[in-house]
Amino acid sequence: MKEIDLLQGTLDLLVLKTLGGGPMHGYRIASKIQRLSADVLRVEEGSLYPALYRMEQKGLIESEWGLTDNARRARFYKLTRKGRREMQKETESWLRLSTAVARVLKALEQGT
Amino acid sequence: MNVLRLAWLRLKAIFTGHRIEREIDEEMRLHLDLLAEEYEQNGMTRKEADFAARRRFGSALLIRERGREVRGGGILVDLIRDVGYGFRILRRNPWFTAVAVLTLAIAIGANTVIFSLVNSLLLRALSYPDSDRLAVIWSVPANHPEQKFPGTSGAYVLLRDNTRLFEAIGAARLYEAFTVAENTDGANWERVQAQWFTQEMTAVLAVQPMLGRWPNDGDDTNSLFIVVSHGLWQRKFAGSPDVLGKKVLLDLGVATVTGVMPPGFELMNPDAEIWIRQVVTAPGGPLPRSPNRIFTAIGRLKRGVTLEQAQSEMNALASQLSQQLPEVQRGWGFKVESLQSVYVGRIRKPLLIFQGAVFFVLVIACANVAGLLVAQGVGRRRELAIRSAIGSNRWRIIRQLVVETVLLALIAGLLGLMFASAGLGAFIWFGPADFPRLNEIGMDLHVFIFTLLISVVTGLVFGALPSMQVSRADLTGALRETSRSSTLGPQRQRLRSSFVVLQISLAVVLLIGSGLMLRSLLLLNMAQVGFMPHGLVTFQIPFSRSVYYQGAGNTPAGGLMVEFDGKLNQMTERMRDRLKSVPAVASVTVAITPPLGGMPRRVTFTREDTPTEPAEREAWAAEWYPVTGDYFETLRIPLMRGRSISPDDAFSRRPVVVINSALARQFFPNDDPIGRRIRFDLLDDQPREIVGVAGDVRQNRYELSLQPQVYVPQDQLPRRMDLNIARQVLVKTFVVRTSAPPIDALRAAVREIDPTAAISTVRTVEEYAGAQLQDLRQYTALLSIFATISALLCVIGIFGIMAHAVMQRGNEIGIRVALGASPGNVLRLVLRQGLLLVSVGLGLGLAGAVAITRVIRTFLWGITPTDPVTFMIVTAALAVLALVACYLPARRALRIDPIIALRID
Repeated sequence: MKEIDLLQGTLDLLVLKTLGGGPMHGYRIASKIQRLSADVLRVEEGSLYPALYRMEQKGLIESEWGLTDNARRARFYKLTRKGRREMQKETESWLRLSTAVARVLKALEQGT
Repeated sequence: MNVLRLAWLRLKAIFTGHRIEREIDEEMRLHLDLLAEEYEQNGMTRKEADFAARRRFGSALLIRERGREVRGGGILVDLIRDVGYGFRILRRNPWFTAVAVLTLAIAIGANTVIFSLVNSLLLRALSYPDSDRLAVIWSVPANHPEQKFPGTSGAYVLLRDNTRLFEAIGAARLYEAFTVAENTDGANWERVQAQWFTQEMTAVLAVQPMLGRWPNDGDDTNSLFIVVSHGLWQRKFAGSPDVLGKKVLLDLGVATVTGVMPPGFELMNPDAEIWIRQVVTAPGGPLPRSPNRIFTAIGRLKRGVTLEQAQSEMNALASQLSQQLPEVQRGWGFKVESLQSVYVGRIRKPLLIFQGAVFFVLVIACANVAGLLVAQGVGRRRELAIRSAIGSNRWRIIRQLVVETVLLALIAGLLGLMFASAGLGAFIWFGPADFPRLNEIGMDLHVFIFTLLISVVTGLVFGALPSMQVSRADLTGALRETSRSSTLGPQRQRLRSSFVVLQISLAVVLLIGSGLMLRSLLLLNMAQVGFMPHGLVTFQIPFSRSVYYQGAGNTPAGGLMVEFDGKLNQMTERMRDRLKSVPAVASVTVAITPPLGGMPRRVTFTREDTPTEPAEREAWAAEWYPVTGDYFETLRIPLMRGRSISPDDAFSRRPVVVINSALARQFFPNDDPIGRRIRFDLLDDQPREIVGVAGDVRQNRYELSLQPQVYVPQDQLPRRMDLNIARQVLVKTFVVRTSAPPIDALRAAVREIDPTAAISTVRTVEEYAGAQLQDLRQYTALLSIFATISALLCVIGIFGIMAHAVMQRGNEIGIRVALGASPGNVLRLVLRQGLLLVSVGLGLGLAGAVAITRVIRTFLWGITPTDPVTFMIVTAALAVLALVACYLPARRALRIDPIIALRID
C-alpha cells in the first residue's frame, strides 16, 4: 500500500494521541504511528521535529533528556495537562469531522 | 500569559542558543542512528543502512534551522548579532564614530538639558498636596481682565465667607520686605522677604511646618506670630529646636516664632523667609472697606470642581460685592487661574522656545551625521553588495545599517546624558534669577526615558534615509567597481546636498533668533532709563521706632497714629547735609526704595473730576514713589511742567503729587493735568492735587511701554499705609550722586551723625540696572550657544561635502587642468557647487526666520522680529563662514597634479 503524507493538523493530533500512552522520544513516536497505521501513514522527520518544537512552545507537551531501553541518551516528550485537554478536544472534533465526511461520501456513493 | 511565556522562552534562548542547537543535533543523531539500526535489522549492510537513513531523513540542517526558529531567540538573537556586528563596524572607523557620536551627543545633551527644565518646571506638579486643586483668584478691572491685581480685604472676606465651590480660600500678601533681628534687642538685623498669610492659607496649601505649627485662633490676635523658613532657621537660629516660642524683632514689632517650614516651601516668591499671620475680619463681621489692593486670594477647589465653574461662581460674587462695596469694587471683577499656570506662565514661553531651538540643533546634527553616513556608505557598497549576493535580502541589510546608526545614537545619548547633567548643573549655578522652583530642577526617570527615546528616534531617522539609498546598491556595478573609484552617484549627491541645505537654513533661523535677542540686549543697554544712573550710589539704613518715636499711648493695634515723628526726618536731613559735604558728592536724596532696585509699589487710582471711569482706560495703577524734592535733582529726572515737591509741602494741608508724562498722556490726553486732583485707593489718603509733571523713568527696564508713575512727598504719606500695626523699624534708602564712589567716606559721614547707624546694601544704581537685564542676558546667552553650535555643525557639513566633492572630481579636474584650465576656472568650478547650496540654504533659512521669529517677539526690545539689520548681519556672517568652508576644499582642487590625478585610474 502506498504511504500517505500527513497534513500538519493531523500530525499534531496523532503525536498528541501517541504521547497519551506515556513519554516517548521522537523516533519512537514516528515508528509507532507508522506501525499502528500498518505502514500507511508515514511521518516525515522534517515535519515531526518542528511539530514537536512548536507544540512544546505552545505548552502542549514538555520534554526532558532521559535514557532509552538500551541506555542511549534521548529526548523524551510527554503530554502536559493542557496538551491532554487539547488532545481530547482535537480527537472529538476529528472524529466528528471524519464521521461527517464518511457519511457524505457514503450518501453520495449511494446516489441519493 | 502565552505571550509572556513566549517572551520568556525567547529571552532564555538568547543565552542558551548554543545549547539548543547542540541538543537538536543530538536528537537528530539519535534518530538517524535508530533509523539506520532498523534498516540494518531489515537486512541492509551497515553502510547501506546509514545511507538509506540519511536519504530518508532529508536535510538535518533544515530541521535545525526550523528548530532554532521555533525554539531559539528568533529576531532577538538576530538583533544581538547585528548589534555585535555594528560595534565591530563602528570600531573599525574610529574617526567617523568619534565625530558622529560627539556631534550627536552635543545635540542630545542640549535637548536633555532643556527637557529637564520643561519636565521639572512645566510638567511636574507643584509640591503642595493635590496642587491641581489650587487656584489664584485675581482682582481684575472688568474691561481689562488681563491686568491681574491682588484684591481688597473686603473682597477677600466676601469670597471666603460665601464660596461654595472652594474648600477654603486664604489670602496672602506676597511681596513684603522686613528687617528681622535675631532677638528683641535688635542685634544682627537682616533684611528679608516676608509674606502675610491669613489663617485659611494653612488649610489651602495643606503644608504643615516641619517643626512647631502654624499660628491659630488660640494666638492673641493683637500680637505678631511668624513661621520661618528652613534656611532662616539654619542661618539665624543654628537649626536649634529652641526657636519655637522665641521672640524676635521685626520692623513691625516683637513677633513670636511658632514654627519652621520644611526646606523648599514657598508660595509665588521663592525668596520669602518669614510668614506672618495676617488677621482679617472674622466670618460674620462687616466687610472691611479698605481700598488697598494687597491681598492675593488663593483657594483650594473642592474635588471635581472645574476652573470654569469656579470662575462663574466668582463672577456672581463679584457683582454681589460691587453692590455691597461700590466705592472700592465698582468696575472690578475676579479671574480664577490655576496656581500651576501662575507658576509656569512666565517661563513657559522661553522654555518652549528653547525646546524648539535645541530641536533645530538636533536636526542639524542629524543632517551632519547622515551626510557622513552617505559618504561612508559609498565605501561600504562593496561589502553590502557582497552580502546581498550571498543571500541577504534588502530588509536585512537595512536593518543592519539602522542597527548601526541606532547604536551610534545610543552611545551619543549616553554621552549626551553626561553632558546634560553637567550642563544642568551649570544652568542652575548661573541660571536666571527669576526661574521659579530652581531647587526642584533635576533629571529623573522621565528625562532618562526622553533621552533614550530621542536617541533611538534620532538613530532611526538619520539612519534609515541613507540606508535605503545605500542598500539599493546595484550589485554588478558595485562589485565591478574598483574600490578607489567609488563615487557618490547623482542621487546620493543630491541627498547629501539637501542635508546641507537643511542645515544651513535651520542654522540661519537660530542665528537670526539669537541675533535679534542680542540686538535687543544692546539696545536695552543703550536705552535711556529716564535719568542718569551713572554715578549714583545707594545704601540703606534702618531706623528704630524706639529711638524716633516719642508719642504716648503707642498701642500697637489699630487707631490712627503717627508712625514716626519729626525726629526721624531731622535725623535723615542731618545725615543728608553731612553727606553733601563729603568731597566729590554732588547731591543726596533720601528715598524708600533704590532707583531701579526692587519692585515699586503699585497703587490704583481714579481721576477725581471723572469718577466714572472711561472704559478705554489702559492702566489702573501707577508706580508709587514717596520722595523729597531733591530726588529729581539727584537722579536728574527732568521736570516737564509745574513744580517739583517742595519742603513747604510738609507744612501744607494740601496733599500734592507729581505725575510722570506717561500718566499725563494717558489720563489727561486733552487737558492740562496741573491743578487737577486724583484719588488713590489708599486708606486715609486724601485726593491729591497734581503740581508737576516729571519725565518718564523706566523703572523696569524690560518694560517696553512707559508706566504711569507718581511721586508723593514723604511728609504727606497716609498715616498708616495698610498695616494695623505700626512699623517698629523704618528703612530709608540714601541715594548719593558722586563722581567717585568713596564708600568709606560716606560711611564715616553717616557715623559722625549717628555712630550706631547700620549701613547696608551698598550698591550702585548701575548694578541694580544690570541685575534687571540678567534674565534676558541669560536667555540670550543660551540661545546664542545653540546658534553657535548649529553654525559650527553647519560649517563642518559644508566643509565635508565640498572636500568630498573635490576628492571625487579629482579626475575631472586633472583632465581640465591638463587641457589648460586656469586655476581661476578650477576654483570657480568647485565653488559654484558649494555656493549654490549655501544660497539655497540661506534663502530658505531667511524665509523660515521671517515666519518663525515672531515667537520671540516678547523678548525683543525696540526692534521688530524681522529687524533688517539683524537679518543682514546674520546673512553676511553665515555667507562668509560658508565661503571659507567652501574655499578651503576648493583650494585643494588647485593643487591637484593632473599627472597624479590621471594616473590613479
